[in-house]
This record gives sequence, structure tokens and C-alpha cells, in this order.
Amino acid sequence: MFDNNVFLENTCKNIVEAGNVTGFELKTNITYYRGIPLSMVNDIGVEVDGEKIAREHIVCSVDEVAWFTLDEMETVTSYKWEYGEPLTVRVLKDGGLSNGSHEIALDVVVRTAYIPVPLAGRKVRTVEIA
Amino acid sequence: MSKINTCVSLYSLQDEYLNKRMSLEDIFKFLAENSVEGIEIIPDQMMHNAPHPSEQTLADWDRLVSTYKMKPVIADVFLNTNLYKNRELTKKECVDLLIEEIKLANRLGIKLIRLVSMVPAYVIEPLLPYAEKYNVTLALEIHAGLSFDVKKTQDFIKEMKRLNSPYIGLVIDTGIFCNRLPRVMADYCKHLGTNQEVIDYINHIFEQGKDPRKVYLEHNGFPTELKQLLKSDADYFFAHMADGYENEHFSVLNEYFPYIKHFHFKLFEMTEKGEEYSIDYKGILQYLHDKGYDGYVSTEYEGNRWVLPGHPMQEKEQVLAHQKLIRNVIKELEGQEVY
Repeated sequence: MFDNNVFLENTCKNIVEAGNVTGFELKTNITYYRGIPLSMVNDIGVEVDGEKIAREHIVCSVDEVAWFTLDEMETVTSYKWEYGEPLTVRVLKDGGLSNGSHEIALDVVVRTAYIPVPLAGRKVRTVEIA
Repeated sequence: MSKINTCVSLYSLQDEYLNKRMSLEDIFKFLAENSVEGIEIIPDQMMHNAPHPSEQTLADWDRLVSTYKMKPVIADVFLNTNLYKNRELTKKECVDLLIEEIKLANRLGIKLIRLVSMVPAYVIEPLLPYAEKYNVTLALEIHAGLSFDVKKTQDFIKEMKRLNSPYIGLVIDTGIFCNRLPRVMADYCKHLGTNQEVIDYINHIFEQGKDPRKVYLEHNGFPTELKQLLKSDADYFFAHMADGYENEHFSVLNEYFPYIKHFHFKLFEMTEKGEEYSIDYKGILQYLHDKGYDGYVSTEYEGNRWVLPGHPMQEKEQVLAHQKLIRNVIKELEGQEVY
């Protein structure tokens, strides 16, 4: 239903800081039809070539200024993930993605105001790292 | 004498907005050019940092409303009772959040708030002084799947009747009047892998004048016959989603009619014949006309969520076709030009 919102095309790339690749990032729209505070993001999951990234290695930001781990996000109520504005998801991992082709899967799960089951979306993309 | 006005919910154009093919101004312009004079907005969808938008956002809103001569009819408000993962909000927290929504609606020039289904009844009485002070009516949405048979809806209605204030009422979503399962939903699920036999089973329920929700309730879950057909996740997904479409008679509204403030005219698919695939709008409008309904009916296109990958999104076309249908029917009923 909201799968098409997940994992925006051409947004996956390595993060280079002071000449070092410190991880990789990608962007996604919300799996819902309205904006919500970050505390209502139930889960974000990333898989690289079938392997699940450990939860503690994931950080997210709506403004690319303040970054929150998934545990921290549970109490973040004053930053809103707006409808139509992507969330940047970073995986902090030395070396990031190696050169070549990768299957990257992104799962986004948010809680909604009235539907008892959280709304999930998933998208897998083949990403080329040069 | 009824006075039925039409408007369009911006929810209908959400994919255009999400993918930045249309800005809020583009949407206002498009609607104004097509003789739409009223809108329904979800502040959380198209107004950044709602219910506390910036002064700039508010100034932009004022400019759009005046430039395009658009009447902001109603704001769709949500209550994040599950703001935190580890607990539900307290009554005070719920009330405080909704006070901010009332203030925002008032600032936007909106006199009616749609409270999302499942809003707890206990918020109404503490909110009444604010509703009166800011001249904003609060109306709970009666939505298929969360409709009259649901405890929280019943509690709200009981409290609404007890308080009996002109500032408290209901919004009816016509998804409770589906005489057929939306075909776009079934097609989408089929694409996901749902078996045709499962779809046929659900379609048959509607043909018998029932709906999946009622049948599941009668059987305390999926009937055995259906269970035997469910083989994949896609089958289960479809069977669960199918209970979000009810097949009520219009007369279910009789008891609540004095409290009805607004209608969501749900749209799944306009057919080539210019009709809605699942909902009999001629019938509904005739019923509203006969009842002397005086208020807005709002096109709420939801077929957008069932568009198959690679197929064109036709939100604008669907909205206009639906507006044409309902305006023509109203015109016939009232014997005059209506926009």
C-alpha cells in the first residue's frame, strides 16, 4: 500500500568524512499519508545482500543536522517526519558499501493514530557503488 | 429544503504532493480552475510542523485562500494516542494536543474539525469550552471498519448525545456504503499474489448484501470456508483489508442525522460510465436531499493507494470525474446550478 513511498531512487551512497568512508545512507518517504513525530517511527530495518544491519548501527535524521539512533528516536517528539519530506537513514559502518552491485532492502514501520497494526513498507533496490 | 455543497479533500491529491509534482499552491490553482470552491485539509499532511506551523507557512496559507477564493471547510485532525512506544497518552495529554488543533483550525479560518476514528469519548467535555471559544465544531469520523459497531465509536456517540452541543457531531465516510468491493483494491491484491478464489469469495459476500466485517464478526473471525482458501500472505492481507469496506443501508444514518456535520464522499474508482464503482452516489444524494441535509460533501479519492506499479496515477482526473458526477446529481435534485 505504501511500499512505493519507501527507499527513494538514486539516494543510496557512501558517506565520506575527512577522506574516510564511514558508512552509507539512503532516503525514504513515510509509509503513511501524513507527518508524525519521530517517536512514532516503530522501526527502520536495512539489509545488505541479504544480511541484516544491527539496529544500533542505524541513525536517522529529518534535517541532516540532528541524528538519532532508533532507541533515541522513541522519545523524539519535537522533530516531525513530514509527509513529502524524506527521512535520511544512515548505516554507520567503516568502509560503507564496497564497490560493485548490492541488493539493499529498506523496511519502514510507523505507528498510526487509529490503526492497531503499525503500517509497514519495504523496498529492495539494486545499488551500484563505483 | 436541502443545501448540499461540494468540496474536495486534498487527501485526494496526496501522491501529486508527495512526489512534488504539485505544491499546495498548484493544488489550490488546479481546484480553483475547475470550479471547486471549498477544500478539506489534513494539516499533518500538507502543512509543515502542524499544529504549530511557522508564521511564514500561515502567511502562505492566507495568501492561497484569498488568491484562489477557496473556502477551507474542514481540517482532518488525528490524535497520536500512541505517540510513545511504551504507553498510551493520558487524558490530559490528549486534551492538550487537541486544544492546539482547535487553535490552529481557528487560525486557518476553519470552523469544523474531523476527529479521527477511535478518539476517546472522554476528551469531548473538557474540549467543549475551547470549541465554543474558538468557534470550531468537533466531529468524529464514522469510517468503514471502525464504524457504529465499534465500542469507541459507541462511547463517543453516547457522550455526544449526553452533551448535546452544536459543537459536537459526526462526519460520515461513505465507505460504509460499498455495495461492491472496490475493484482497484482487489486488482492490487491480485498483483501481490492474492488468489482469485479468495477475491471471488469476498465479492460473493457483497453480492449477498453483506460485508466481510459482518461475516467475520458472525464467525468470530474468518469463516472456515474462507480459511481453507487462505494460503499465502497476500491472501491474508486481502482478507484483512476487505473488512474496511462496509455495505450498510443509508437508513443506518437516520438515528444520527441531526448530528451529521460533514460527509467524506469516498472515491475508489470512477468508471467510464461516470459512476463510482462501489458506491451509489445518486442514491446517497437522493437520501441526503430527502433528509434536508445542509452541509458539505467532500470528494475523498483513495484509489491512489491501489494503483499498480507502472500504472499512471490519475488523482486529478478521478477527482474531476467524481465532482462532475456529484454536481450533476445535486443539480438534478435541487434544480439549479451547484458548485
